Amino acid sequence: MKRNIGREKVNYLERCYQKNPDIVSRKIADECILVPIRQNVGDLESIYTLNEVATRIWELIDGKRKVKEIKDKIVEEFEVTPEEAEKDLTDLLQKLEEIKGIKEV
Amino acid sequence: MECPHIPIIPHRKFSKRIYNKAVSERIPLAGEIELTFRCNLKCAHCYVVYELKKKEMTYKEICHILDEITEAGCLWFLITGGEPLVRDDFLDIYTYAKKKGLIITLFTNGTLITPQIADYLRDWPPFAVEITLYGITKQTYERVTGVPGSFDHCMEGIHLLLERNIPLKLKTMVMTLNQNELWDIKKYAEDLGVQFTFDPILTPKIDGSKEPCRLRIPPEEVVKLDLADEGRLKEWKEFCQELWGPAKSDKLFVCGAGQTSFHINPYGQLAICGMSRNPSYDLRQGSFQDGWYDFIPKIRKQKPKTDYKCAKCDLLSLCGQCPGWAKLENNNPETPIEYLCQIAHLRAKAFGPKEKSQTKKREELYIA
Repeated sequence: MKRNIGREKVNYLERCYQKNPDIVSRKIADECILVPIRQNVGDLESIYTLNEVATRIWELIDGKRKVKEIKDKIVEEFEVTPEEAEKDLTDLLQKLEEIKGIKEV
Repeated sequence: MECPHIPIIPHRKFSKRIYNKAVSERIPLAGEIELTFRCNLKCAHCYVVYELKKKEMTYKEICHILDEITEAGCLWFLITGGEPLVRDDFLDIYTYAKKKGLIITLFTNGTLITPQIADYLRDWPPFAVEITLYGITKQTYERVTGVPGSFDHCMEGIHLLLERNIPLKLKTMVMTLNQNELWDIKKYAEDLGVQFTFDPILTPKIDGSKEPCRLRIPPEEVVKLDLADEGRLKEWKEFCQELWGPAKSDKLFVCGAGQTSFHINPYGQLAICGMSRNPSYDLRQGSFQDGWYDFIPKIRKQKPKTDYKCAKCDLLSLCGQCPGWAKLENNNPETPIEYLCQIAHLRAKAFGPKEKSQTKKREELYIA
């Protein structure tokens, strides 16, 4: 279900996520992929590949950092505006929640 | 909603995408392990030779290897045997492999699947379970397996998996003992909505014994089966239109074995594939890294020592001639396997292109 990011914006950036141990990340041939290992996590028929920004976001999700801190890191490390970074981040976190790759702490 | 930062792609597409990089960087993308040579069945055609005196790898030894192969980049992993479920620690090994992020296919005869094991596989799903169904009647199935009661257990195993929606594929080995039931086995699989494949070519045992070869069906019958199966017919026609001509490589091994794939037997011997087991590298004495990056490339670099007839043959792609298989069959890796040679010529006649100019590069054959 899509979140109403505008309405929840402040709260959303204050949120904190942790990785689901039932999804394993692998780095193969310079590609970062997510491998679901339990029932009802992701789609076993497919491979979830992460692009460069998504890989970095995945690395930064540690159950401690708030979303806004991750956003700041992305703005610092990539040539993106804060608005772009926020959109990238919300899109990705939403997708990761959908496949049960992360959950809110 | 599709997120542009996390593209979801099918396995085959991902495999193709990283294949060239995997070849150039020698990434062992696909591996297989025989957890044991023991089996609860006594199949007439089986290629395995159980060596009582040799000690199978322990759980700990296997876990160490799983650590090493995932570190090196292995993603697709086949667990086979013998019958892997005869090991008391099967689920422990399986779980460890899952937690390493390996995408697992399990080959089993299905007869040892209990409700508990099926529940576990539902909770920790494999990419696929492949069960070999040797017959559609108790009489034929057990004529192959040699164990009374095994047919009912196999059927039970199949249903336990299907009831839990565990991804299942059925297959069979076609031999003189069961060829009359092939199409009924296929129909049974199709009625269940399960993918089905068959292999009509038996190999010698891994010690070179040709006992299983006595059960081979004649080459003409093999091609008749190709012609009678719509899917196979289409595949062979496409294959023959595209791949024709002698080997482009001057090496003995022109296949993809040991390039991005490897094989490990129950005693920790690493080889380029299950057909070419010798020479092998002892993972109990050295690391997977050393075996994969130093030992295996030396095997792949070997050149034929004689005037290797098969390398010059236009039908090499159709044939499946393999130095490892030829060593088992003829005790010489460079001698043509007569049975395969006959089948290849019959297939060329049945499916081959009229114009040889329509060929593509042989290398394309080996995309994982």
